[in-house]
Amino acid sequence: MATAAVSPGGVVWIVLGAALVGWGTFSAMRPGLPGPIALIRWFTQSWLGRVLALCAWGGAGWHVFCQRP
Amino acid sequence: MALVAAAATAWWEGGLGRDQASAHDSVLAVIGLGFLATALAGVGRQAVPSSQWVKGPFALRRHLADARASALGAAIWTVLVLAVIGWDLNSFVHQEHDLPTLSSILGHLTASQPGRAVVFFGWLLLGGAIALGWRRPR
Repeated sequence: MATAAVSPGGVVWIVLGAALVGWGTFSAMRPGLPGPIALIRWFTQSWLGRVLALCAWGGAGWHVFCQRP
Repeated sequence: MALVAAAATAWWEGGLGRDQASAHDSVLAVIGLGFLATALAGVGRQAVPSSQWVKGPFALRRHLADARASALGAAIWTVLVLAVIGWDLNSFVHQEHDLPTLSSILGHLTASQPGRAVVFFGWLLLGGAIALGWRRPR
């Protein structure tokens, strides 16, 4: 029987990913709780927040699509 | 229409390698467009001034009393985001095979054309939302 080998660090990422998806889904469905959209919207309230978010977005894109070995 | 254009761009970009000059040019062009769109669409249309936005988190104690669920939700988001950043830093510092970084996981995801195209499409949507979303009406 073939088993997929997941490293200990990989297990932590799976737990973190599940927590993010779980909380994101739960908070998106419950009125009164800030969901993932609210998280992005919070940054877009002001010029400073929007520019900071854009810088992070641009840096992440450059790293993922142009640098990652 | 914009979504179709974004999907087509993402599929084309998915076929490029991260070392190709055209990949670098297109990513830089998208980043430049993001900043340009932010500037052009945003004049006088922000919800709050930057000075007020910076002070926002410091009003948390007052906010906690006003809207407990909302403040608790924000705190959980903060903990989750800090956990991701902290674990990524820990994995990066140790540089061990058993401790993949978020970057290396994304590297595996973007190794194929469909994977790179899907991640690029998500990145385009996020950039569009940050640049153009939630503006005050003119």
